[in-house]
Amino acid sequence: MAWELASFSADLPEEIEVEGAEVEIVRPGEPVRVTHVLDAVEPRIRPDGRPAFPTGGKAGEGRTNRLDGVIVLSCLDFPGEERPLHEQESIVDLGGPGAEYAPFSQETCIVVSFHAPEGARNEELEAKARKETLSLAEQLAAVTLEGEPVTVETFELGDVDGDLPRVAALIQLSDLGPLYYQYVYGQPAGQAGLPRPIDPAELLDGAVTCGEYHWAAMRNPTLFFQRNELVRALHREHGTRLDFRGVVLMRGYEQSADDKQRAAEGAAARAEELGAGGVIITTDAGGNSHTDVMLTCRACERAGIRTTVILAEETDPESTRPILTDWVPEADAIVSTGNVEELLEAWAPGRVLGGDTLLDGTSAAAAGAIPVRNYLGAANQMGQLALGARSG
Amino acid sequence: MRAVHYVNQFFAGLGGEDKAETPPTRLEGPVGPGRGLTAELGDVEIVATLACGDDYFAEHEEDALAALLGYLDDDHPDVLVAGPAFGSGRYGYACGTLAAAAAERGIPAVAAMHPENPGVDAAGKAYVVPTAVNVAGMRDALPRLGRLASALAAGRELGGPDEEGYLPRGLRRNYFAEQTGAERAIELLLGKLAGETRTEVGGGLDRVEPPAPVPDLSETLVALVTEAGCVPQGNPDRLPSVRAQGWFRYDLNGEETLAAARYESVHGGFDVTLANEDPNRLVPLDTARELEREGRIGRLHDAFYTTTGNGTPVVTATRFGREIAGELREAGVGAVLLSGT
Repeated sequence: MAWELASFSADLPEEIEVEGAEVEIVRPGEPVRVTHVLDAVEPRIRPDGRPAFPTGGKAGEGRTNRLDGVIVLSCLDFPGEERPLHEQESIVDLGGPGAEYAPFSQETCIVVSFHAPEGARNEELEAKARKETLSLAEQLAAVTLEGEPVTVETFELGDVDGDLPRVAALIQLSDLGPLYYQYVYGQPAGQAGLPRPIDPAELLDGAVTCGEYHWAAMRNPTLFFQRNELVRALHREHGTRLDFRGVVLMRGYEQSADDKQRAAEGAAARAEELGAGGVIITTDAGGNSHTDVMLTCRACERAGIRTTVILAEETDPESTRPILTDWVPEADAIVSTGNVEELLEAWAPGRVLGGDTLLDGTSAAAAGAIPVRNYLGAANQMGQLALGARSG
Repeated sequence: MRAVHYVNQFFAGLGGEDKAETPPTRLEGPVGPGRGLTAELGDVEIVATLACGDDYFAEHEEDALAALLGYLDDDHPDVLVAGPAFGSGRYGYACGTLAAAAAERGIPAVAAMHPENPGVDAAGKAYVVPTAVNVAGMRDALPRLGRLASALAAGRELGGPDEEGYLPRGLRRNYFAEQTGAERAIELLLGKLAGETRTEVGGGLDRVEPPAPVPDLSETLVALVTEAGCVPQGNPDRLPSVRAQGWFRYDLNGEETLAAARYESVHGGFDVTLANEDPNRLVPLDTARELEREGRIGRLHDAFYTTTGNGTPVVTATRFGREIAGELREAGVGAVLLSGT
């Protein structure tokens, strides 16, 4: 069945209110630094009244409206002393050198900074912020219900010449526990029956949302699923250079060696059921999720399915030692989305939103050089952006 | 702009193998291949030639390097050029080592040698221009060496290895590609399916081969080592939760168990809630003591070693390992129970 994505020019209200949060509208070109960023979401709504970020039913059918050139950025400075969040600062720079590293600065950003009341628990705050952010994204798109779209794109995978290479995308979603969940129809990835195939249009249509606050640069915010460049690129090539067979979602951070192996073999089996002769394997976050990716790569290759892996590098820029967290010899075609340890030059923003103090205690307005790893989505391992790393 | 050129005793015209013991010496201006190189250097002048016997460098590396770096300090060149050493292992090693040391001191440095010369590995952050395996490749090598040396002397920012003609150093630099990562992934996959496999990241890992089994554990001093971020309560030495720069040794003082009241994990890479209910699950002191009582291990070393293995570059982790292993070996430890998270 076809899915239509209708784009509307942005018509934003002067004032936007969200309970328990400050909201600021930042136009393209304003020299703003946004800190403690949780997620980025594109405003979307469905004319048929079904939710834009569904927790049931099936996304990727009928029509969805989107506001063009608008991104909601949610921010929260977690109050709890729960260490995993420390030093995992998440920054969006809308000016300066960091602005080049993601699409945010070219669009109007609606920055929603959630308050953290005394005594509130991290997980409750996060759940509220996530819900309010998705809800705001839907409300902002409501104006489109009265308007005329500028463009309408149709996503449908028709039958193609049987001789084209058959390609699927294996998309990894983190589940490392609370505050590190990606959601599939509102369920944490680990409880969503993964690995399993989904229609690529479901991924583009709000079936997957972000609740994962690990390394900012290697994070997959909701926006990057909604605008997924990998699925879009495969759609573009479908019928001309390849036969796009579909998407398999799989979990990152399987917790035991047995589970990791089982999940890797499961993902390979799902790819085989899709008839894929080749797969592109994506990564979410870092560390042990890279092991899941490597095991999946090996399982696919052993099943006769050729692989390309997309991942970011985490290496001391001044070191000439090996650079990958994990690696198998079968991973012989890797796309690098950049080295997250490289530093970006210091920049003095005109204004700071989200919170004035970075998690390491320095002033966000007067911080020194900041590594790529702190920039939201900058080394995104679904291949959303153009950053790469090469030997020098 | 000023260059200093390094050659061995042979290319300096001091003599062959019989002069391989020659200590470092400084000659004015270009000598031997330096004359041909001068023609390729544009407005860079070779102000001095440093020479050293290959055997002398190999046998007195520290002294030789100190003397050569001393000359460099006096001459303060804009670039150091070393070689070409072609396939000569000792000469190549001296070129690579000196170039690396110069680069560490902020002097742009380039060596030239065959890609399989062991000197390539010694060159660190210095550049290496590939050459043929023997001196017949001199005429081909000098223009390429001269071009790179001029660029370095001028302080020009260099492009990638293919573009500029040097061997990849293993350093990784970010750049904005013309295609998104997704598009590049599709190109790599379609290429691979068509029989042409390419990659943007070379593989390879610091694979650790399993050592031979411990001959008799019941006679062996065993130590507990962890990267689980396990520290005394309150983290008195402030071990970071991520990207640790060092490790700590904590005396066990004969303790039988890592009590939750006395120890905790500050690791930032996993949810420590369950681990902190029983730190023995990170550093299995309780079980190790039991094995000690049963005589299954000879004795437990009376300190454990800890760091946070989270976001740690391989080079840093390797240093931790070497330092900890050094201490353990000195203490007579014959086996380690290394717990990872």
